[in-house]
Amino acid sequence: MTKTIGIDIGSLNTKAVILGDDGILGIAAGPTGDNVEADARKVLDSALSQTHLNLDNLPVVATGTGAKLVSFSPAQKSVNTCLARGIHYLYPSVRMVIDMGAESTTVVKVNPRGKLEDWANHDKCASGTGLFLQQMAKLMKMSLEEMSELSLTAKSRADITNTCAVFAESEVISHVHRVPPTPMPDIAAGIYYSVVSRVIALCKRIGIEREIAVTGGVSLIDGIIHSLESELGFEVLRPEFPQSVAALGAAIIAKENAEKSQK
Amino acid sequence: MIFAGIDIGSRAAKAVIMNDSQIIGSTIQDTGPESIKTAYATIKAAMKEPGLTLDDIDYIVATGYGRVLVPFAADNVSEISCHARGINWYYPSVRTILDMGGQDCKAINCNEEGHVTNFVMNDKCAGGTGRFLEMIADVLEIPLEEIGELALKSSSEIPFNTICAVFAKSEAIVHLRHGVPKSDILAGLNEAISVRCHNLLKKVSIEKDFTITGGIAKNTGMVDKITKKIGLEPLLAEDPQLIGALGAAIYAREKYHGKETGSDMRIQYGYNDATGDYFITIDTGKCNGCGECVCVCPSDIYEINPDENGKNVSLVKGSARKKLSILCPGAGNCNGKGKGNCQTICPENAISLSW
Repeated sequence: MTKTIGIDIGSLNTKAVILGDDGILGIAAGPTGDNVEADARKVLDSALSQTHLNLDNLPVVATGTGAKLVSFSPAQKSVNTCLARGIHYLYPSVRMVIDMGAESTTVVKVNPRGKLEDWANHDKCASGTGLFLQQMAKLMKMSLEEMSELSLTAKSRADITNTCAVFAESEVISHVHRVPPTPMPDIAAGIYYSVVSRVIALCKRIGIEREIAVTGGVSLIDGIIHSLESELGFEVLRPEFPQSVAALGAAIIAKENAEKSQK
Repeated sequence: MIFAGIDIGSRAAKAVIMNDSQIIGSTIQDTGPESIKTAYATIKAAMKEPGLTLDDIDYIVATGYGRVLVPFAADNVSEISCHARGINWYYPSVRTILDMGGQDCKAINCNEEGHVTNFVMNDKCAGGTGRFLEMIADVLEIPLEEIGELALKSSSEIPFNTICAVFAKSEAIVHLRHGVPKSDILAGLNEAISVRCHNLLKKVSIEKDFTITGGIAKNTGMVDKITKKIGLEPLLAEDPQLIGALGAAIYAREKYHGKETGSDMRIQYGYNDATGDYFITIDTGKCNGCGECVCVCPSDIYEINPDENGKNVSLVKGSARKKLSILCPGAGNCNGKGKGNCQTICPENAISLSW
């Protein structure tokens, strides 16, 4: 009976998963603040509190941008490997994962054994990321959820030619002030399309596969998924906890390592 | 004879008035939301000092983003050509120009006559533009005019991992919260931007006689970083922000005297981002405007339009320039519509792709 912990310390949020033989025992998430170690401990404690376990005797694997910054996890794995393993556990048929996070977008190809095959990512700028969408929602004075609902009622799509978040902002403002003004749902749909076209370009770089699963915080936005599916021409799978797939993958790797060393 | 050049930029509008030999009036104003109003206000401000009216000016050339919306201009010329012509008036020896504007950054090569021979532009990303510096000045709560001087006071600069304006802004906020001096933050950002400018300049050729134009050339901290990065002291004009308008005024004089202003250049459209280099280079000297590239392109990114000299040449559409990596699969992977791609179909070998 092996129980393991996976923790994914992202740029905005930290996610933890506790895995037992029969599945996920505990799952938690919280913001990553200035004190990475303390915030990670907080998330971990909240996941552990669901299980009656404590940290001392459990193997841990950490992943994400902050993985090196925590003292309690000697083992680290790349997010891409963890994503591949996590998604394979949930959906063995999936061959491609699109992970849309706050500050980066990553596309990962998974082989039938859950191993990472190829990947491409974009993390140098805010275009097409969660931060971009957050900024746009703020500009349009609505929440991410409101913007998503609005986009689903769009009759057509505003053309957003700029990929840069700063320039796109001015473009959105000019749509609002146009005579007659572009309808808000069309602007929202245009913003989502600009993100999706970027994501698809990234997928094409390594070759689009079926099936596709989406993960990361941005995948919680229905408007994005709708736009993505209509561009791809087929449906994508979204796990119950799309933000915690990498953490799950880390826990699976911790488990594999523990079982290997037992033999 | 009186000539005027007006440069309606994305953030600032500039005008220069000349007689046959010298500048007699100039102005710099903010670009308002209505281009036509901005154009009138700008030319009026420039005419105030020499005491002129529009009727006194023999020929006016407009340039910049808003150049087609200047009702009183007799002609318009691209800002790239104007910067080359303008700096040539001050420093005929200059061969490399870095133009740092409100919403874009350009690297230009020109010859001894002030004709553009090669240029590359980055207008896809706000990193390193005036807009970027405005955002940072705003976060740091320092007037834009003072950030250059302040950056020079830095004792230990903060390295920035990013050039993205949005990321840099949030990084700067975190540093501020940790009590990092504002001068160190600015110096770090200037360093990141100078690396980017250097990379852009490397796409054209960097010659010894080099200049910086545009509003950012007035930012002493930035100029200092770029000077160190490139290892060349720039020959700065009296007011680098006016160079585009000055070039337009010189074009006005040449056009009035009926002088043909022709030159062939290589134009590089595109950008580089985290995933690679995406540049389409069109040699307008070789291009005969046949339109084969327009026909074969599956993504419809080319168009044939007259250049400055009225010659029909192939151009990359404005709407496609910022999305090349999304629209175009690259020459190696593209077979056009079955007959070959733009690079292979071109009878004059005028087109090349970097990926």
